[in-house]
Amino acid sequence: MEKIISIAVINIKHQSALSILVAAVILVITPILFGTAYLNSIETAVPLEMFVSLIGIVLLPPVFQPEQDDTIRDLVSSKYISTNWVYCIRTVYATILIIIFIGLFAGYLCLRQCNVTAWLFLGTIANALFLGALGIITAALTNNTIIAYMIPLVYYGLNYGAGKKLGNYFLFSMQIPNFTPKLWLGITGGLLICCALIIKTIEKKL
Amino acid sequence: MLFWSEFKKIVVGIPYLLFIAVMVIDLNSQDALNFSNDSVIVPNQSVTQNYGIKNEEIPELIMPAALTSLYTEFCENQYRTYPIGFIKYVKLDYDKQQKIADILSKITGVRADEIYAAQDSSNNSDENTFVLDENTTTQPNNNGNFTISIDNNTKENSIANELQLTVREDISYTAFKDLMQTVDNILGGGSNYAPQSLIGYGHVPITYEEAVKQYELVKTYDQFTGGYARLFSDYAGVMALSILPVFLAVIMSMKDRRAKISELIYIRKTSSTKIIFVRFLAVIAAVMLPVILLSYLSNSSMWHLYSGMKLDYLAPLKYDLIWLMPSAMMVIAIGMFLTELTNTPIAVAVCGLWWFIDVNLGIKSVFASYSLLRLAPRHNAGTKSYFRTQDFLDNFPRLIANRLLFVGLSITLVLVTIIIYEAKRKGKFTWKK
Repeated sequence: MEKIISIAVINIKHQSALSILVAAVILVITPILFGTAYLNSIETAVPLEMFVSLIGIVLLPPVFQPEQDDTIRDLVSSKYISTNWVYCIRTVYATILIIIFIGLFAGYLCLRQCNVTAWLFLGTIANALFLGALGIITAALTNNTIIAYMIPLVYYGLNYGAGKKLGNYFLFSMQIPNFTPKLWLGITGGLLICCALIIKTIEKKL
Repeated sequence: MLFWSEFKKIVVGIPYLLFIAVMVIDLNSQDALNFSNDSVIVPNQSVTQNYGIKNEEIPELIMPAALTSLYTEFCENQYRTYPIGFIKYVKLDYDKQQKIADILSKITGVRADEIYAAQDSSNNSDENTFVLDENTTTQPNNNGNFTISIDNNTKENSIANELQLTVREDISYTAFKDLMQTVDNILGGGSNYAPQSLIGYGHVPITYEEAVKQYELVKTYDQFTGGYARLFSDYAGVMALSILPVFLAVIMSMKDRRAKISELIYIRKTSSTKIIFVRFLAVIAAVMLPVILLSYLSNSSMWHLYSGMKLDYLAPLKYDLIWLMPSAMMVIAIGMFLTELTNTPIAVAVCGLWWFIDVNLGIKSVFASYSLLRLAPRHNAGTKSYFRTQDFLDNFPRLIANRLLFVGLSITLVLVTIIIYEAKRKGKFTWKK
């Protein structure tokens, strides 16, 4: 456990600092862009699913980034702790950070007398996980973090145009309000993250 | 040839294929690749025919409508604003509510303290008493209790009717607009009371003669193809070119580092100006090539609808180069500049944020769609409005100013990138790890 915490702390400090900073900036500027006071539950869904959930794209896709450099990958592979463990640790702390950030923002909305329900909180986490998972699976397949940012961001943009045509994968459903898609997004997001980690394990063995 | 070498590096690979695939999917999702079902027809003269609604700056319509809206929001102390397109409710403190009451007083001639008292009474009556009448409905719920509801329109009317406010006859429209500007300032901007947004209160039906005039404008000025090219540019700008090129620019800028050949390139004889500028041109060419092809694919889908008519076959190309290319240039320049400056993909976050704000700014009004700092000018027109050709003509100088600004800014950023790159070659500008 001590080793896991130590790996997590070092990675947060050296690898994830910029991502965490960008995620924090997203949260800080949300009240500037959106109304965050006296909102009913449908209006509260707007900043949460349309903006706050973007932190998933910022935090999850760079999980494999350091090892994309061959020198670092070779060095890390020679260590006692498996690279796959490091990937898992990064994925877990990125997910925990997503939950903490969304929780903090939900708390802020509550203080501003908005009607934040548990479903809105969970729905936002599901959105962020799904967007991040799209990035993480792309990163695993292409070995390129920039493309890993591109796919979820494009999917997000597609939701503006295609809207409800995306069915259970519509990101802005809480404004309708319909919470069923959040279940699909959350489960698919979790599966995609697992697939990405499995791909990396297989890739290493090959 | 350095250009072809850089161009090949961009177009051969997964990122470029994804760029094209995503662009096709995005445009297809907006039906912007096939206009064969969207023909513009000559309007038929009929009493029952609806030619649509337009907004006109008619003071006699605007002033009472805006006053009613403002008084309703004042009574509820909940003002709707749209600072970047999304709704933002503003609640004012006592002093600012007093200022709004003063403005209402200046518009109506009713004393400010009377208006403020009416607001107080309407708020108190909301809290303490509830009278059931024909506008309220009662429904049993699962707990065996009753839910009492009142429709919003009735609520607005009842609040606004508590004190009958009308616009003073001796107030000029200019003075009214000045007062509304003050209201907008108090609310923090982005409200419907901003002078350029007041036109939204002036709804009038389009007449047959106006519908014919609109058609003639499409026929003579746009020569039909121009309107469709504008529609394509609207979608392509906002869905693709104001964000996607940044990925290609960042990937290209990081390629040397990933391949560990940065130092190798630094010592080559080729000047920094040539390397950066040629790369900039190569990315622009790679981005614009599929855009031009897709714009012709989209535009040609409607050519058969107007056989025998005069069509402008160069319209898609003109719009690609003048409307779309400056957006792509700007995004590419930011991508190259920030990547060279920070050695990180932070440009993706910066452009992503700008794109997000820009997308949502444009939905507010035609005026906002052509504002000076719009990355992707908007012109989302339905078939009924016949491509808003008149709006386009009215705002054309602003569009040109906007596009020239972005071309200028992008070239400036490329020049700064050259300076940074040159400094790095000399070992003067490196981040300590």
